[in-house]
Amino acid sequence: MLEVKNLSTFYGKIQALWDVSFSIKESEIMALVGANGAGKTTLLNTISGLLRPTSGSISFLGKRIDGLSPHTIVEMGVSHIPEGRKLFADMSVRENLEMGAYANRAWKNKGETLEQVYRLFPALKERESQLARTLSGGEQQMLAMGRGLMSRPKLCIIDEPSNGLAPKLVLEVFQIIKSLRDQGITILLVEQNVRHTLETADCACILENGRLALEGTCSALLEMEHVKKAYLGL
Amino acid sequence: MVVTILDVAIGGIMLGGIYALIAMGFSLQYGVARVLNIAHGEFIMLGAFITWTLYTVLGINPLLSLVIVGPAIFIIGFILQRTLFTRLRTSSPSPGAYEASSLLAAFGLLFVIQNVAILIWGADIRAYAYLSVPVNLGGAIFAANRLVALLFAVVIGVVFYLFLARTRMGKAIRAAAQDAATAGLMGININQVLALCFGLGALLAGVAGLLISMTFSFQPTMGLEYTIIAIIMVVLGGLGSIPGSFIGGFLLGLIGHIVTYFEPGLTLPSYYFIFTLLLLVRPTGILGK
Repeated sequence: MLEVKNLSTFYGKIQALWDVSFSIKESEIMALVGANGAGKTTLLNTISGLLRPTSGSISFLGKRIDGLSPHTIVEMGVSHIPEGRKLFADMSVRENLEMGAYANRAWKNKGETLEQVYRLFPALKERESQLARTLSGGEQQMLAMGRGLMSRPKLCIIDEPSNGLAPKLVLEVFQIIKSLRDQGITILLVEQNVRHTLETADCACILENGRLALEGTCSALLEMEHVKKAYLGL
Repeated sequence: MVVTILDVAIGGIMLGGIYALIAMGFSLQYGVARVLNIAHGEFIMLGAFITWTLYTVLGINPLLSLVIVGPAIFIIGFILQRTLFTRLRTSSPSPGAYEASSLLAAFGLLFVIQNVAILIWGADIRAYAYLSVPVNLGGAIFAANRLVALLFAVVIGVVFYLFLARTRMGKAIRAAAQDAATAGLMGININQVLALCFGLGALLAGVAGLLISMTFSFQPTMGLEYTIIAIIMVVLGGLGSIPGSFIGGFLLGLIGHIVTYFEPGLTLPSYYFIFTLLLLVRPTGILGK
C-alpha cells in the first residue's frame, strides 16, 4: 500500500533520514520505533508532504506522492494525526472534526463520518460545542484521532498517541487503533511505548540515528536480543 | 444635549464600523497570511478613488460600485499573494525571515501604488457629494450618506463574520490562522487560503475606502495614516484574533469620533495615547492571549 524507497530527508541543514526503505501492506499496523531524535517524526512528515525528501521515492497505492503538497496527499487517502495533537484550540470540538473532513473526498459524507466518530468517541459528542482548548488531555487525544479519521483515510499515520496520557487511557488508545485496523484502515504508528506498540502492531521498523536498523514482524522483533536490550530494558 | 449625544453616537458608530472593516482586513493579512501589510491603507485609497472615478466619470452610484470595487480589489490582492508573497514565502528559510521580507515587499508596494495613483488621479484632495440630503433623526440632523455608510459597514461586518463562523472556507481560514501546517494536513490548500485571505483583506480595505469616500475627503497619500491606525486597532483587539480586531476597530473609531467632536487636533494623539496605555497595561490586547 505504501512503498518507501531509499528515502533521505534534511531537517534544516541536518540530514535526518538516510536511505530509508520499507513498505506497508494493506490492513496491517506497522509500528515505527526508535529513540528520541531517531528520525521518526521526520519520516512521517516526509510521507504526509510537510517535508520534501532530498532523494528517494514514496508511493501510495502505486502512485508517487513524494513532492506533492499535504492537501493533495490527504485527498488521496492518507491521514496524518500529528505529534502533540495540534488541535485548533480556539475552534469547537465539532469544528475541529469538520476540518478533518475538509478534503473534497470526505466533505460530502461528513455527516455520516461524524456519526461514526461520535460512536467511537462518545465523550466528543457530549463536548461537541466546547472549544478544543477546554478538553482534558485524554479528550484532546481522542479529538485528534477523531479528526484524523474524518477524512476517511485508507492509511492513517499516528504520531505518539499515548504521549502524556494516563496508563488506563493508553490501553484504550491501543484498543482503538486495533479496531481501526479491523475496519480495514492501514496504520503507521509511532510510539515511545515500545512494548505496547510491538504487542499491538503486526510488524515494525526500528530507526536508529536516521537509518533503518531492523525490520520484521513484531513477534520476531520481540525475540531479538538487541531489541530486548535497547528497547525493552530486559 | 440628547441631540448632541445622538449626533456623536451615530457618527462614532459609523466611523467605528468602517474602522472595524479596515482592522479585520489587516488582521486577515497579518494573522493568517503573515504579511504585515504596510500597504493596507493604499487599498483603502484605491477603493475611494475607483469609487470616485466611477461616480464622477461614468455616473455610477457609489453603493452600486460596491460590486465593482470589491471584486476588483480582491483580485489585485489575490494575485499579489499568489505571485509576490507566495514566492517570498517559499524562498524564505524561516517564518521569521518571511515576515521581514514580506514587510519590506509591502513597503515597496505602498510606494508603487501611491505613485501610480498620483499619476492617474493627481495629488489633489478629492471629495464628492452623494446622498448628502439631511435626515432628521430625533432632532439630530445627519447627511443621509452617513447613515447609509453606517448601515453598509455593519452589514458587511456581519456578513463577513458569518462567512468566517459558518462556511467551510471561513472555518478553513480560522484553522489556517491557528496552525497553517496542521491545516494542510486536514486537506486545506494553504496557498489558496493565504491568497484568499490577502484578497479578502484588500477587499475589506477597498470597501472601507468606498464608504470613506462617501463621507470624507481623500487623496492619494492618505493610505499610511490608515495603515498606522489599522496597526493600533489590531494590537488593541489582540494580534491574530479576527473578532478582536473587529472590536478594536470599532472602539477606536468610536473614541476617535468623540475626541474629534471636542478637538479635531487631538484625534491622532488620542490613538497613540490609547496605544501606549494599552502596551503598558495589557500588551496582549483585548482578546489576545
